[in-house]
Amino acid sequence: MTAPALTAAPTRRTSTVFVATAFVAAGASMLMGSMLAMWLDFRAKAPTRVASDGVSLIKDWLKRDVAIPEVAATTLMITFVIACVMAQWAVYSARRGDKSHTTLALAITMFTGLAIINAQIALWMQIDLVLRNDAYETMFYAITGTMMAIIVSAVVYSFVAMFRVLAGRGADHDVLRAHALYWYAVSGMFAALWFVVYVQK
Amino acid sequence: MSISVSGAPSATTAQRAANSPVQRVTGWLTTIHHATIGASLLVASALWLVVATVIGVVLGFDRLDASSAVVDAGALTQLFSLHRFALVFGVAAPAMLGLVVWSLPAQLHAANLSLSRLAAFGWWSWLVGSVTVLVSYLGNGGPGGGDAQYVETYLLGLGIVLVALALIAVSVAATVLTRRNGRALSDVPVGAFAALVTALGVVLTLPVALGTIIYVWLDYVNARVAFGGADLIDTWLGWVTREPHTLLVVVPALGVLADAVVRTARGRQPLRGVVLIGVGISLSVVASSATQQAHVFAPGDTPTGTLQSLVPYALFNLVPLLAPLVVVLLSLLALRAGTPGISGAFVAAFLGVGMIFTGLVGSAAMHLDALGLVGTVFGEATLVYVVYGAVLAAIGGITLHAGSVTGRALPDGKVVLVALLGFVATVLASLPHYVAGFLDQPANVASGFDDSGLVGVTNVIVALGHLLMLVTMLGFVGLVVTSRRADAVTDRYRVEQPA
Repeated sequence: MTAPALTAAPTRRTSTVFVATAFVAAGASMLMGSMLAMWLDFRAKAPTRVASDGVSLIKDWLKRDVAIPEVAATTLMITFVIACVMAQWAVYSARRGDKSHTTLALAITMFTGLAIINAQIALWMQIDLVLRNDAYETMFYAITGTMMAIIVSAVVYSFVAMFRVLAGRGADHDVLRAHALYWYAVSGMFAALWFVVYVQK
Repeated sequence: MSISVSGAPSATTAQRAANSPVQRVTGWLTTIHHATIGASLLVASALWLVVATVIGVVLGFDRLDASSAVVDAGALTQLFSLHRFALVFGVAAPAMLGLVVWSLPAQLHAANLSLSRLAAFGWWSWLVGSVTVLVSYLGNGGPGGGDAQYVETYLLGLGIVLVALALIAVSVAATVLTRRNGRALSDVPVGAFAALVTALGVVLTLPVALGTIIYVWLDYVNARVAFGGADLIDTWLGWVTREPHTLLVVVPALGVLADAVVRTARGRQPLRGVVLIGVGISLSVVASSATQQAHVFAPGDTPTGTLQSLVPYALFNLVPLLAPLVVVLLSLLALRAGTPGISGAFVAAFLGVGMIFTGLVGSAAMHLDALGLVGTVFGEATLVYVVYGAVLAAIGGITLHAGSVTGRALPDGKVVLVALLGFVATVLASLPHYVAGFLDQPANVASGFDDSGLVGVTNVIVALGHLLMLVTMLGFVGLVVTSRRADAVTDRYRVEQPA
């Protein structure tokens, strides 16, 4: 009477692409985090002025005549949610071996990213800041420009992932998981930027 | 029959073609093999070491007489800045990451790095970036530079260097995390663990500097109201080339010592887990780097005030000291527990980590307000201690892994001599400035201070120390070149067994 031998558990493989993407996302998060920290530091050290109510004192950081296009900024934020859902849908479809939906999900993610870029450019045009006057303007364009570069990298990632699926590498789920992770990270970074730069101002 | 007859000459022709200079250069340019990429980084860091030592010699002799100048006063700020760049991003970072790239697959028994193309891209990007920085200095750019275009070129080059090092670090981290051949992370050689720690540190801190560069650059080309002009660049970015941040770059030195001692003691490390914790403590530096703060301890008027100053000081300056201290002490413990023999790798690594520790202790002392060392040459000495310590550790690391990577071992006796020479060079190039710091010799200037007595002598000794480090490096390069004719090591992995 001997106990049946247990079969060995499948070896859990750590994906190189996933790990590397996590590190890149961490680095990008530190980049944006540090820029936001310096933004907050400069804002905290800005002189004060009387607010529009004529009583309270506020930081003279965002100039009186500059209006943040809040609708465009909030629309941008919401669009990131769509991109994340689509990126996760791509992972779900790939797990089910559904190539057409995987491709569709990645295409929508990519075009959502392009829409985000378009919205960011529209926001720059609406706010109409001149990059020559003070610290706010310099830092505004530096931080939003860096965010734009990170968004572009996410769109490129979506394009590459879609191209791989179209080329028959749909079974390579690690790339799609890593792609989704990157979009989550980029969305998190933008959420922080949105709150600090566009909401708190 | 016809196949064998026609096949033999064609193979010979192919072999000859593969060995032709053009093929070798093409192969080097396009290689993704870890040994070639790592060796390229190591050679390039040796070339930057020549630059750093020559600048050290020039600055030392320039400060011999505070009333006359060898170097134009307008260029001094740039020369000091270039010296720091050369030491950290020209020597320490590529030497440590190069050593890791060169030896990591052998330590993990892997064929190559993960994402080796990324590592190759990082190496070439670092080369382009570092040359760009050098050119920018030659064109009157860099911090304190007078030519606006070359100041921008400097920022561009520095940005490329930072991104390149981060890319190499991503490849290193991915290798350690995904190519362990089924081993737990706690079972990999300490060198591989230290590589992961330094990769994490680099990925988490260099983007912080990159963000600052973006701000500084955009401000510099426009209003110059937020971050100032070229003179203030080092105010914003100086933390990258100061202690304790440099510890993150030189963590692989701790791994070299921990692995070398096991080989020397011919036994096991009794407290291996504590060694790993000690190496991991280095990551505490991320806190000070990410916040870009240097905390000076100054006793307050009340106990609460004193505590408010002491806690961040201890966190940012004293905690990182534990990393090299733990590794050094446990190395001695391992030696005591085993039956030690002579090992060039151990001697070089031990002296190197000792120098790094001395530099970090100096940095902690410098941040004590009561000593009044901030703004003196004391700070220059701490950096030289750490970087030259890293050079010594790199010598130890190359010696330790030469057998497994190249199949040719280095002679222990000669390596010991080179390491001792390097030790003397490091002490001469830095200890006198510890003394001069207490004598209030100001940093980053070559005139306007009292050069009589001991201060003048210290500057000459420092110059000689830099010169001796150059000799050390040349001596080790000579050793490596001659070792290529040595007998092959029988068992390539005999030194890579986990402790």
